Amino acid sequence: MKEEEKNIKLPFYGIPRLFPYIKPYRGRMVVMVLLGAATSAIDAAYPLFNRYALDHFIGEQTLNGIVIFIMAYVALLIGQAVMNYVSAFACGKLEMTVNKDLRNAAFNHLQTLSFSYYNQNSVGYIHARVMSDTGLIGESVSWRLMNIVWSGSYVLGVLIVMLFIDIRLAACILVLVPAAVLLMMYFQKKILKYNRLIREINSKITGSYNEGITGAKSIKVLGIEEKMKTDFKAETREMKKTSVREAHVSALFISTVTMLSSVTLAIVLWQGGQLTLANAMRIGTLSVFMSYALEMLDPIQGIIETLAGLAAIQVNIERLTRLLTEKSDVADSEEVIAKYGDMFEPKKENWEELYGDVEFRDVSFRYPDGDEYVLEHFNLKVPQGTNIAIVGETGAGKSTLVNLVCRFFEPTKGQVLIDGRDVRERSQLWLHSNIGYVLQSPHLFSGTIRENLRYGRPDATDEEIMEALRLVSAEQVLLKMDKGLDSEVGEGGSQLSTGEKQLISFARAILADPRILVLDEATSSIDTVTEKAIQNAIDTVIRGRTSFVIAHRLSTIVDADVILVVKDGRIISRGTHAELMKEKGYYYELYTRQYEELLWGEG
Amino acid sequence: METYKNNRQLVLHFLKGSKRFFALSLTFATLVSLFDMISPKIISFTVDSVIGDKAPEVPRIAELLIERLGGIGALKAHPLFIACAVAAIGALAALSRFLFRTMNARGAETFVCTMREELFSHIMYLPYAWHEKNSTGDIIQRCTSDVQTIKRFVSEQMVQLIRTIIMITMAIIFMAGIHPRVFLGSAVFIPVIIGYSLVFHSKIGGAFEKVDAEEGRLSAIVQENLTGVRVVRAFGREMYERERFEKQNTYYTGFWIHLMQLMSAYWASADVLTGLQVLTVIALGSYACINGTMTAGGFIAMTSYNIMLMWPVRQLGRVISEMSKAGISIERLRYIMNSEKEADRPDAKEPPMDRDIVFDHVSFVYPGGSGEVLHDVSFTVPAGKTIGILGGTGSGKSTLMGLLTRLYELPPEDGKITVGGVDIADIKAAYLRKNIGIVLQEPYLFSRTLSENIGIADDADMKAIRRAARAASIDDAITSFTAGYDTFVGERGVTLSGGQKQRTAIAQMLVRHSPVMIFDDSLSAVDAETDMKIRAALPETTGSATVILIAHRITTLMNADNIIVLDKGRIRESGTHEELLKMNGLYRRIYDLQTAGMEEGE
Repeated sequence: MKEEEKNIKLPFYGIPRLFPYIKPYRGRMVVMVLLGAATSAIDAAYPLFNRYALDHFIGEQTLNGIVIFIMAYVALLIGQAVMNYVSAFACGKLEMTVNKDLRNAAFNHLQTLSFSYYNQNSVGYIHARVMSDTGLIGESVSWRLMNIVWSGSYVLGVLIVMLFIDIRLAACILVLVPAAVLLMMYFQKKILKYNRLIREINSKITGSYNEGITGAKSIKVLGIEEKMKTDFKAETREMKKTSVREAHVSALFISTVTMLSSVTLAIVLWQGGQLTLANAMRIGTLSVFMSYALEMLDPIQGIIETLAGLAAIQVNIERLTRLLTEKSDVADSEEVIAKYGDMFEPKKENWEELYGDVEFRDVSFRYPDGDEYVLEHFNLKVPQGTNIAIVGETGAGKSTLVNLVCRFFEPTKGQVLIDGRDVRERSQLWLHSNIGYVLQSPHLFSGTIRENLRYGRPDATDEEIMEALRLVSAEQVLLKMDKGLDSEVGEGGSQLSTGEKQLISFARAILADPRILVLDEATSSIDTVTEKAIQNAIDTVIRGRTSFVIAHRLSTIVDADVILVVKDGRIISRGTHAELMKEKGYYYELYTRQYEELLWGEG
Repeated sequence: METYKNNRQLVLHFLKGSKRFFALSLTFATLVSLFDMISPKIISFTVDSVIGDKAPEVPRIAELLIERLGGIGALKAHPLFIACAVAAIGALAALSRFLFRTMNARGAETFVCTMREELFSHIMYLPYAWHEKNSTGDIIQRCTSDVQTIKRFVSEQMVQLIRTIIMITMAIIFMAGIHPRVFLGSAVFIPVIIGYSLVFHSKIGGAFEKVDAEEGRLSAIVQENLTGVRVVRAFGREMYERERFEKQNTYYTGFWIHLMQLMSAYWASADVLTGLQVLTVIALGSYACINGTMTAGGFIAMTSYNIMLMWPVRQLGRVISEMSKAGISIERLRYIMNSEKEADRPDAKEPPMDRDIVFDHVSFVYPGGSGEVLHDVSFTVPAGKTIGILGGTGSGKSTLMGLLTRLYELPPEDGKITVGGVDIADIKAAYLRKNIGIVLQEPYLFSRTLSENIGIADDADMKAIRRAARAASIDDAITSFTAGYDTFVGERGVTLSGGQKQRTAIAQMLVRHSPVMIFDDSLSAVDAETDMKIRAALPETTGSATVILIAHRITTLMNADNIIVLDKGRIRESGTHEELLKMNGLYRRIYDLQTAGMEEGE
């Protein structure tokens, strides 16, 4: 996390940036604010009942009017309860609705962002924007606002009552308020500083746990358990020291505030006592002031705390609005959208059939976050039905071509043509609807097997699904699940083994009947039976389709029409298997290494 | 080993060292309540006897004090005296409050510190098999959020519960002292308010669990969408994802709104209940005053006590219902603390390690695994010699080393491993590992500087560190960093390439000068040239150590005194490089393949 983000300052705490999301709920907010204010104002009025009891019933020794007194009190209680209910519920509803709207907006916007955004921001970071920033912001515009309304109107109510019933005593109390506010602000700042420190140490401690657990093997063979313990101890002691220090400051803060209340009470007693003794004030009035003396500082402290909280939330507002205004660097032009529709409202009637010719024409490419060209003046014609294999070591940059064909990225210079037309001339959704993609680490979504298989073609019938499963010999996966196609696969497909997930994702790709197929073969070792099934699946799937295979299996490599050899992000040679073997270059080395693995366990 | 039979035992164990702070904090909490109770008494006295003319009914000390000041008359003339008394009591209350809070914080922090340290050190000494069995995320969750839950349980909820009970007791004494019947009239509300809040909060607890689960589901959709972004895009399913998300988002939000409605209703109705209680005190109080059984001052004091009592009473139900959740968290920590630590046999030895290492008919199945990873493997590593083990993926070569360092315990019926004739099961684990240096296949670097990483095992000095780094051919790379040996690596530092990591790990091992050194495929990510350089430097750096070289690249181990070809957990061939080549077996075929590429390719 970047340090400078923490101290961000926006005008009005960044709240104006949220106006578009609050605007639809103006009406609800007005109700909430008005009723909330009324509720607190009534709270400020309750001591007046005590006053009446003291001065009238007790002072004049009569129960005259006690029935009306009780009825008025109960009526006020019930009236207040109703207003309280309505405003609190409105506030809660506002919080949740704004949360929901922000989450929807963020999620939907994310669907339109290009891969360069995903490459530059970690999943954890983006996830936190969608799931936690939205919550914090929703809370700010509802409960924090409400807190200010509640506390503010209470203080205001108290002020008005005080000024009305005795202006001299009111003045005595009011001189103390600015001092209290300054003191509170001072402490608040200090406490915030400590809290930040504590959070930092806390994340260090979590990091140490993580290291102690994920590094267990190294720790054991190095025999450094004791050292890790000692180092960890230093961190927890640091945490203890800092937390205790923070506790001292906040204990001092709280005690000082209550002390201030006592002083206020003392002043009221002193000044009010004199007035009462001189018969210039009645006991009831004195009791009202005593109640206020004890209860007025709390809401003031509440306001200061809330404002501090709002200041802390600015970072989240900044981050979330940045996500919401992020521009995708792969976007369809207006003309394209006009004709083909956008991601959420496609105009399928205008979509042309995709045949499957792909051509790279003088393509130069550099990743948006990289500074070196990984492709320069690259030309390649891939007629329909051609099988392209891309080989190279892990991390060598084998996905680049695939990224360009799928238009996950656009060429920096040059063109990628599909059926002779620039890929940018038609919509992303059109292209993607015609592409099948099988990932090395197969990604399934939580839901049933059927839902996962239909991912590429929502209207597929059960017969078609079964046919697809048969083609890749994946029926065996169904057999072990108790509910067949209706079985849940769990989050990320956790109920299935890697091999089974592979097979399902092949079936998913077949079912979509794509014109262009992209395949990232798995390197992970799976049992031989599944291995064989997957091999057959690949053969079935690529037949007759334009395909790009990031290849690891020898058979796929050998049979490919064109093999591209990638090293350090660049394509260093291309040709058929026979041609490349003849060169005895890097490809030869890669191939023999693969072949060697086959020797093991042969007999 | 100590086991904790129930949750109470574990909490008491963790409480060692912090109990006294909590005891002190509760003592001060009692004082806070007591002082808080005194101010209304002073006010009551002021109203009745200073402003009014009632004969004062005050304790002996106060009576003496008033006489010293010059009697009631003086107080009437100077109400400032009373103000000073209120301020003084306020100061005492503030001081007690300060001490209560700081003592409580000390207790809480000591408690949480003990928990963390005990957990961490316990985890450090748990067997490696335990680490493999449990997921990292789950254990971290237990060590962080469950620890927090238990901290809150002890230092907030328990303390608040006891405080509230103290407060209620005091209020009963003081309020009943003023007017028992008025107090009884208002006291009937107390159990009602507590009961109402308890019932509500325990009922809504289930709803909160449900809403958490729904949030988890929503969060999972986002997570899946983000990690599966390639699939979403490639299949053009943005619309579907949007619908899926919006559906769950709406459902989840609706659930929350329903909860909000319940909570608003609860708050509003609980307000009415407490309001009625206040009204009862006012009405009954007024009546008592007119009766002459209570004074105006008593009335004011009574209403003040009542207000003081209200909040803690309203909170009580919530606190009690939340306390029930702590049990689950304690249970989760008990699982860790009751897991058996690695233990040496009682008569474990520390024999000399520069002896022959013998694998004697070793077979092995991973705990919880099904297939045999090693089958009847027997061979000897003569002291001071270098032995090579060649094997493909899944051949069991790393398992051999896991057994030798006792990361996995070999069951006695599955053969044995001896060093100088002593079964390694009879050797102290720490001693064994200290004397067997091993470079792991996937080296792990700690979030520290490079020099700290290299010297981590025995706090080696800078000279030794650099010597080891040079032997591992990593010195040049390190000095090329701007911060040199002080470069921070690991999770929050510089990312090293696979080869650099391996070489750092080699230096880390070399620096220890162990009598036995194992290189577990530790040159796999290093390019051929550096591989050669390191190998050339090895005999000099390893000296008289017994060396085991594990590799899939023949050049790495061809100079070994003896080479074992391990395939699918069985020894297929063994001998020197020349002997193996002559055998014309698996070794020969692999050699041919590897060298053909080398000669003509580069």
